[in-house]
Amino acid sequence: MDRTQFQKLYLDYERGRIDRRAFLKASGLGLAAAVLAACTPGAGASTKPSAGTSSDWTPPEGVNLGDTLNLTTWPNYHDQATLDKFKDVTGVSIALTIFGSNEEMLAQLQAGSTGWDVLVPTNYTFETYGQLGLLEPLDLSKIPNFVSSRYEARFLEPAHYPAGSGDLFGISKDWGTTGYVVNTKNATKPMTSWKDFFDMAQGELSGKVMIHDYQLTSIGNALKYHGFSFNSVDPNELAKAEETLLAAKPHLFAISSDYQPPMRAGDAWVAMAWTGDGVQLNRDIPEIKYIIGSEGGEIWSDFFAVIADAPHRDAAYAFLDYMAVPAVMAADAAFHGYPIVDSAGIDLLPADFKNNPIIYPDEKLLSPLEFGAAVTLTDQNRADLWNRVKSA
Amino acid sequence: MTAGTLAPKVPAPPRHRRVRNPGLGADRVFRAHSGLVFLFLYVPIGLVVLFSFTAGEHAGEMRGLSLRWYGAAFENQFVTRALSSSLQVGLLTAVLSTTFGTIAALALQRVRPRLRAAYDTLTYIAIVIPGIVIGIASLVFFVNVFGFLNPVLAGAWPSVLGEAPKLAPGLQTIVGAHTVFAMALVIVLIRARLAGMDRTLGEASADLFATPWRTFRQITLPQLSPAILAGFLLSFTFSFDEYVITSFVKGNVTTLPIYVFSSIRRPPVKPDINAIATVILAFTLLMLLSGWLIYRRGTRRAGASPVALDATVDV
Amino acid sequence: MEDSEGRSKTANGRGSGLVTALLLVPTTAWYLFLLVVPLGILIVFSLGTRTDVGGYSPGLTLQNYADLPTRWPAFQNTLTLALIGTILCALVAYPLAYYLATRAGQKRTVLLILVILPFWTSFLVRTYAWLQILGANGIPSLLQTLGVEPRPVFLNTHAAVLLGIVYNYLPLMVFPLYVSLERLDKRLIEASKDLGANRLRTFFQVTLPLTAPGLVSGALLVFIPMMGEYIIPSILGGGKIYFVGNALVDLYLQSRNWPLGSAAAIGLIALVVLTATVYLRLTRVSSQRDVSLL
Repeated sequence: MDRTQFQKLYLDYERGRIDRRAFLKASGLGLAAAVLAACTPGAGASTKPSAGTSSDWTPPEGVNLGDTLNLTTWPNYHDQATLDKFKDVTGVSIALTIFGSNEEMLAQLQAGSTGWDVLVPTNYTFETYGQLGLLEPLDLSKIPNFVSSRYEARFLEPAHYPAGSGDLFGISKDWGTTGYVVNTKNATKPMTSWKDFFDMAQGELSGKVMIHDYQLTSIGNALKYHGFSFNSVDPNELAKAEETLLAAKPHLFAISSDYQPPMRAGDAWVAMAWTGDGVQLNRDIPEIKYIIGSEGGEIWSDFFAVIADAPHRDAAYAFLDYMAVPAVMAADAAFHGYPIVDSAGIDLLPADFKNNPIIYPDEKLLSPLEFGAAVTLTDQNRADLWNRVKSA
Repeated sequence: MTAGTLAPKVPAPPRHRRVRNPGLGADRVFRAHSGLVFLFLYVPIGLVVLFSFTAGEHAGEMRGLSLRWYGAAFENQFVTRALSSSLQVGLLTAVLSTTFGTIAALALQRVRPRLRAAYDTLTYIAIVIPGIVIGIASLVFFVNVFGFLNPVLAGAWPSVLGEAPKLAPGLQTIVGAHTVFAMALVIVLIRARLAGMDRTLGEASADLFATPWRTFRQITLPQLSPAILAGFLLSFTFSFDEYVITSFVKGNVTTLPIYVFSSIRRPPVKPDINAIATVILAFTLLMLLSGWLIYRRGTRRAGASPVALDATVDV
Repeated sequence: MEDSEGRSKTANGRGSGLVTALLLVPTTAWYLFLLVVPLGILIVFSLGTRTDVGGYSPGLTLQNYADLPTRWPAFQNTLTLALIGTILCALVAYPLAYYLATRAGQKRTVLLILVILPFWTSFLVRTYAWLQILGANGIPSLLQTLGVEPRPVFLNTHAAVLLGIVYNYLPLMVFPLYVSLERLDKRLIEASKDLGANRLRTFFQVTLPLTAPGLVSGALLVFIPMMGEYIIPSILGGGKIYFVGNALVDLYLQSRNWPLGSAAAIGLIALVVLTATVYLRLTRVSSQRDVSLL
């Protein structure tokens, strides 16, 4: 089975023409074969030792994993097939709690007793989580499939708290950029910058543009519009960003971090977006393109972390170990479209993934991007600004 | 009265006559309006029920008929757990609020007016306060109280009894928060009913040397029972469908509305939500019907004024 | 049989005092610990300051209340939409209640139940149904096939939120109106007719004033909870339409500014209590104008 066949199978499954079991059966073996075949683009049958297909992963011996795992994560971030496979092997059902910003996750954790087990935090949050003791330092002996040497330092490093110490609070899930998606069939004028984004949102694209419900990216990109730093906490610069956001707000279609449904339905033509959503949308609707603002923006990395006092701690570790298997990570990435960090996993990715400019943008677009800074999470001005903009 | 009538007209006996406006036109307009309103009320519900029977994948499209989503919904362990939690919370809330509310309403009859006014004010606040506010306030309260109590408990707990219990938001806190409103509701209902009740029977009973308890059991309670039942049903329904307050104080418990809300927030929505909603609707209908029948029979037997709805609305 | 202070006497004088107190214990405990104390904590928090990471830090400042006006748009939105929603509800409910009370005859109980029935479906599911109807695959696409281009967008607008509000609160308005209209002494209407007034005049000079209490009752039964509404703007408003409730939740669960959030909560309570008190005054006044032939 080749990739297009798999796609069709997947789409059939999504449209209800075949059921889950049939899909898994047909694709499970097919996918492993496809992935392996794709690793050898016509250059001869080099048999790369499969770094383990997902069927190679076995749950830890003698550990009762229970039957539930609570995973708190972002929209459209996981392949349901990956989660289902975990359930098939361990009997643990995964319940997803979806948020569109780190602030909301932090707020719930601060209020306490959420019952969550695994969190997917972004790089700039570890300092705060570490200070508040909301995550636990990972017991790496329980995650044998995680080999840190295979992980690019700049993406993995933020999970050490305190910075530079040996305690690791998360293993990398993926990394990505924050830009915006444009439905070029409807929004025909070429767009390349945040200036285009915010100006046209108030002009010819009025009523068709969405921004994130997320202070980091929405305020950050409004700051980029003015040429300031994405992470600025300078009150004057923030005031200008607030002006821009308030001017744009009446013209927006919605303020939401879950923009795929309106984009797919055609209600929104432009939306502030993340890499993987760009990939998913472009895959299904080729006229939707992903743009990184020329002024800059955000580059980020996400992690899997275990929440302190998680009710299903063993299942949480089992899940992290499962996701750390390169083949599993790669299969998941093939769905969600976010670039992964593990070099062994990257090797397993199909060629068109590695060549996708959405996933691996040009260096000249990448270099102005900034990683989110911890201070933005705690800065009162930014938090209040965002609440003011939404209340307006 | 025209001149020349032979037989004197007998004036129509004074009776309540339905206002009859000349012209069918007005009637038609009213009927059309009402028809439209009912359409407006029921089309969305009808759509929800309709799409629960789809064989397709998404709740927005009708692709053949099937009961698969009913099966899927009840095979889903998260759904069944949420349902069970909701039922537990609802029942506990209803029982607690009906019991406490009824006895409080009875007690409030014999209390000094000023004290009664204080309770009335609190009841009034409990009913009027937005769910958002009480939800947040309760959360803050629980977090702080538990944060204070847990170390104390851990320190003072005798080790012979094992590990100290750890207080956390959960089923009990949901019940606690729901009961505030539900109990106020019951108090209002019962007091309204008491106000409209025939006192003479109770006085006669006392005159005949019945103990207060006997009077209560044989005279007051039967007359109150429709209102008590109404309070119970209302409390249960309120609690079962409650989302806002629950979302704050639930801890790691998931009730059905919590589950439904998080599913709605993540389109495309699967029709198992529709299936759940239809089942709840059917169940509520059944409960309503039986409650109403019991109430009607109860009122006739108790011989008091009908339509507790009047009393409800008179608040 | 009541004594001079309004207390009803029973056969045992003293013992009943203890019984009464005992009967009130659970309610008192609940009101105290789950109403008064939490609200008290809110007030205390509203006087505090926000810690760096978000949360509450003890303090004694009125700064949060001073900051509230920056959230005025949310308050304004809430008041405006709640008011318009109430008026719309009244306009839709009155004819329906009138019909049910005066012309529906035997069917009236059944119809009444039918009005209230939607109330017994899940509130969330009802609002979600409107999400579908107003969304891309619903009415807009219907209009599009009928030739309306570009496809209209109904979601995430004030109109959508209004629709959701009216839909969910209509039964609450119908009931008091129905009761009031049902109680109306029909002979007054007949008398008015007999005295030569036409239908319109009868309505405005007799029916409407006499049903004003029901109208006010219904309006407040609807307006007050509308002000605390949170779910409908959240689902149908797309993050653009903010009620005070949404701003509140946001302050706690995103900005994590608990002191300001508490101040906003107290503000909302004050608003609601004020409105409800006005209602009580009004109903007391209007009940004095009650006219009856007896």
